[in-house]
Amino acid sequence: MPSHAPGPPAAVLCGLAGWVPSRVVTNDELAERLDTDDAWIRTRTGIRRRHVVEPGQATSDLAVESGRRALRHAGVGSVDAVIVTTTTPDRPCPATAPTVAARLGLAGAAAFDVGAVCTGFVYGLATAVGLITSSVAERVLLIGADTYSTIVDPLDRANAIIFGDGAGAVVLRAGTAREPGAVGRFDLGSDGAHEDLITVAAGGSRQRSAGGEVRLRDRHFAMRGNEVYRHAVTRMAESARATLRRAGWTIDDVDHFVPHQANLRILHSVADDLGLPRERCVANVDCVGNTGAASIPLALADAAARQAIRPGDRLLLTAFGGGLTWGSCLLAWPELPVPAHPYDRGEEPTP
Amino acid sequence: MSTTTYHRLVEILAKLHDAPADRFTPEATFAGLDVDSLTMVEISIRIERDLGVTVHDSELRPTLTLGRTAALIDAQRAR
Repeated sequence: MPSHAPGPPAAVLCGLAGWVPSRVVTNDELAERLDTDDAWIRTRTGIRRRHVVEPGQATSDLAVESGRRALRHAGVGSVDAVIVTTTTPDRPCPATAPTVAARLGLAGAAAFDVGAVCTGFVYGLATAVGLITSSVAERVLLIGADTYSTIVDPLDRANAIIFGDGAGAVVLRAGTAREPGAVGRFDLGSDGAHEDLITVAAGGSRQRSAGGEVRLRDRHFAMRGNEVYRHAVTRMAESARATLRRAGWTIDDVDHFVPHQANLRILHSVADDLGLPRERCVANVDCVGNTGAASIPLALADAAARQAIRPGDRLLLTAFGGGLTWGSCLLAWPELPVPAHPYDRGEEPTP
Repeated sequence: MSTTTYHRLVEILAKLHDAPADRFTPEATFAGLDVDSLTMVEISIRIERDLGVTVHDSELRPTLTLGRTAALIDAQRAR
């Protein structure tokens, strides 16, 4: 086949945006209610601040804002499908995507949620690629949105310091595999034997069918930190390697590693394991904390807004989350207008 | 304790923990160096990754000295 052949059908990135609620919670503010301080949080997590919703604000509100900006960035007025990936839907029933689609003026489009906790964006991306390459949809709006502040106990020091609220969205269109922006090889996996490591115990059929009183702590998000850390580091590195292998790439072919922003130490550990210089690791966890399914698209939107990612750059996205779930994929960055900054980085004045 | 293992352990620790280098001695304990539990997990991961020996983080007790930890790694390797 001549080298200028367009290649097989593919989904191509054509717009993106991030959005976070305006309220900022600093480490100092957390230290007022928790036994912690700014230095302790920074050393252990790399996080300086996070954004949280106002009372009454829901995941769909964040999803709509990021979705509207992504559609504008892509210069498109309609899509055939809207996928929302979230761990904190507005309600247990129905899914959050239909209301998001309706509020974006996209009523009539296919709309559904994808649940894979913090791996949700990569699973959602694979789902969107499937819709496009099977000709079910020409264009898809994929939104990762989470409001962990609604499920984390504000007095749970281990988790309250890590999580923040936010949303990130991408628009994908039908194209071909050799175009810049074509979403490349994937690796997806899960291990449900470890479902208890990251969980909200109550609120689902298991607890409801059992009846009885619900303990307050079972309504809150719980994570077994040390075990999760070990799995996260190991699974993310394995998944990244598997994806590179499938594409015939080496780690030297990766210009930017864009991991789920769990905790800066996890990101550095995975980068070190892969033999990737830490400066090639895209990180914004310092500004927004861990925003769940929103973290990768928010990190991408932030890096693109700062022009830290350039057209032609080769990206490796890797995520890990409750389930357990994990996944990776490759992407060559397309020519796109520079998107708006998703948030004020709150840079500290240099001394 | 093999001095090679001990030096490899100190190399791992120095990458992860910002204590001054002169505090890394065979008699120093993890607790004395103020190594937190997530760093213990990371040390255990890197012992496995860099030295090819599995030492679970639950075995890395805060009261262990670096010298005893190197001996533990050697013993594990000899198994």
